[in-house]
Amino acid sequence: MITLMQLLKSDYPADLASAMVVNFQIAGLALAIGLALGFPLALALAGGKGWRRAVAPVLGILRAAPTFVVMFFLLNVIPRDFAIAGIPLAPSGAMIVALSLAPYAASYVGDNGSDAIRALRQGSPDRALLFLPNIVRAFFVLVMSSSTGAAIGVNEGVSVVLRQAEHWPDLGDKLVVFAIGVLAFGIVFQAGFALMRLSVAWLGRRRRTGQTGQTGV
Amino acid sequence: MRILLARWLAGVLLALALVGPALAQSPESTLNALLGEVRAGMPANCDAPEADALVRVLCSGHLRVGVRDSYPLFATVQDGERHGYDIDVARAIAQRLGVEPVWIPVKPATRISTLAEGGADVVIATMGHNTRRDAEATFIRPHYYQSETTIVGPKSIQIHSWDDLFNRTVCTTIGNYANARIVSRDVRVMLYDAAGRLPEALRDGTCRLAAQDDSFFAAYLAQDGFGDQFERKFGFDQVPWGMAVAADGADGLAQALELVSLIMHRDGGFLEIAQRDGIFTEFLQSQQALFNNPECIGAAGFAAPDCLIPALEADPPPTAFLPQVEAFLAWTKDTFGVSPALPMLMTQPAWDLFIAGVVNSLILVAGALAATLAFALFVGFISALPYRPVRFLAWLVVVTLQSSPVLLTLVVVTAVAQALFTYSSAVALGAAIVALGLMNGCNAGQAIGEAAESIRRERGLGRGLTMPLFGAAVSRSLTQLLSFLVNAAKGTPVASFTGAPELLAALTDITSFAAGRVATYTIVLVFYMIVVWFVVWVCNRVRARIERTGAGA
Repeated sequence: MITLMQLLKSDYPADLASAMVVNFQIAGLALAIGLALGFPLALALAGGKGWRRAVAPVLGILRAAPTFVVMFFLLNVIPRDFAIAGIPLAPSGAMIVALSLAPYAASYVGDNGSDAIRALRQGSPDRALLFLPNIVRAFFVLVMSSSTGAAIGVNEGVSVVLRQAEHWPDLGDKLVVFAIGVLAFGIVFQAGFALMRLSVAWLGRRRRTGQTGQTGV
Repeated sequence: MRILLARWLAGVLLALALVGPALAQSPESTLNALLGEVRAGMPANCDAPEADALVRVLCSGHLRVGVRDSYPLFATVQDGERHGYDIDVARAIAQRLGVEPVWIPVKPATRISTLAEGGADVVIATMGHNTRRDAEATFIRPHYYQSETTIVGPKSIQIHSWDDLFNRTVCTTIGNYANARIVSRDVRVMLYDAAGRLPEALRDGTCRLAAQDDSFFAAYLAQDGFGDQFERKFGFDQVPWGMAVAADGADGLAQALELVSLIMHRDGGFLEIAQRDGIFTEFLQSQQALFNNPECIGAAGFAAPDCLIPALEADPPPTAFLPQVEAFLAWTKDTFGVSPALPMLMTQPAWDLFIAGVVNSLILVAGALAATLAFALFVGFISALPYRPVRFLAWLVVVTLQSSPVLLTLVVVTAVAQALFTYSSAVALGAAIVALGLMNGCNAGQAIGEAAESIRRERGLGRGLTMPLFGAAVSRSLTQLLSFLVNAAKGTPVASFTGAPELLAALTDITSFAAGRVATYTIVLVFYMIVVWFVVWVCNRVRARIERTGAGA
């Protein structure tokens, strides 16, 4: 209890909150890259059998790529002084984490995007709209996954939790530090999923309204 | 001609040794005799093409010294003036030889090549003396300085020995020879490409601890802002620093420098310079005491071999199949124009790490799959029970685990394991298996619980849980279960973060002290992708079999 009060009075909550902004930035960046890469894949998957066969190996690679290994791969393969036409283009740690999450994001967008395109073709725009809450779900999964950045020195939420935990030698105190971290991430994660459930429910209501001919006005 | 000069110098020294104690016992008399003989041959020998470097130095009146430009406290340039321990040592040596120093800027990569190309007479440039470099240049002993790798961290953290570092992360630089020692003590490394980034990483909290040469950190620890916050924890892997001359044609200069070094140690010349420049002096104090012992001065005035520090052993033992590997790499170079660097096949320590990493990764994957399945069935069973409090408890655990980032869950489980058991690599592996199983199994278990509930609604069953119902729930949530099994396999490399000795950790350790990062990380990426593909294939086969069985039934 004393530990909890000390932690709450310290800079820890504020540091954690500001560091979690980095998690959101990484997730946003990863999702943007995922959308850019995943949209052509979605179109191909929703196309003919030839297209589907052509992109299947690409999707297989994207699905099988472990984020943590991809992150270390990129970190070690991209030169620190990487530049094109004299313009330095070496990615930051946060960018490397975002790039490592991109394969997952792209495969997710590809899979869900192709479902949405098929639904549109079948004349079911409401079912196609389920793509949006699914993207929200992906975003919050990416927020959680961006914590891997702690392993390469990115100053995000989990890094702050781990740094704070080092100040407390007793396991009990450490667990309090961890619990605050889990709670912070949990609020974000559960709020995100609640938002997603609400939007799915709204879409369901909208579909039912459409089916009964009501306008909702 | 060169042979003649070498024989002549050797003859001079032999004569000095035989003259008797009264004349040839002190380093000064030997040095003076050596310089005197060279000067006696001047200017006749000055233009001899095969003249020893010492002859050239004395004839020209200049000692060309290879020095660094920006190594705080040792060699820096401010307003056109050079400062630092290396610089002052070079000045003192030049003065002793009666010549003027001429500065030749060198970098770590060009120190030895500059000597080989005749660009400098001597290099005094923070250069560690190891067995690999011994073949490329002549190092002067006694050594003019000795550094060690030091662990630096915040004053608030209690670190006194390797035991306190166990399973912690230490930031270090790629290629640092001390990294092999660090990783062998079960300490995780976070690699940086330049030492200059380490102080900043300590300041902003990215790194809690950093390892680097003490000569590098000395300047930072002397600063108020840095020194108030951080301190040296402990040191290891002492490296003697050597000034060096060219491997060929510099025997005379090498002998003169050996004698000067011996005198400067004995009389405290090195120590005085070090104190003036504000660097660590423990080594120089011990050397002064050592060379004031008459037993450390040999018959000819040179240092007794037993009193000299050997070169650092820098070459790890090669693998038994190294010739075949080298032949293969040569073939790829000839055939394709490029050859990958494969450090894990070159040396025995790297090979051992690699094999252990592969085996541990496979154990980790198998363990994570088994744990995921076990937790899924357990949590699924609990979630399907008719007792509300028990179901609520299961829900609470699942929501907590869903709300915790993977890395945090792993750290928490590892911390608990560390409190329960004596920590080891096996415990790290076990903790990772439990953490991965919990994270994925709880999610799959939740799906089983939901499936059981849906079956009850469809069939109008009561709250009771029977084995047929549970089996049907598992079967219905098979897609979720298999996807979480794949997820568990994909997540296994994360275990490297808490010190589990799997392949990613092993290869990170290897690349910390060997070259070939691109090839190495490509190998680890391909390895894990193959593992995940295999797990997906097995899961699909299992699903097909279950569906066939279900259809047949």
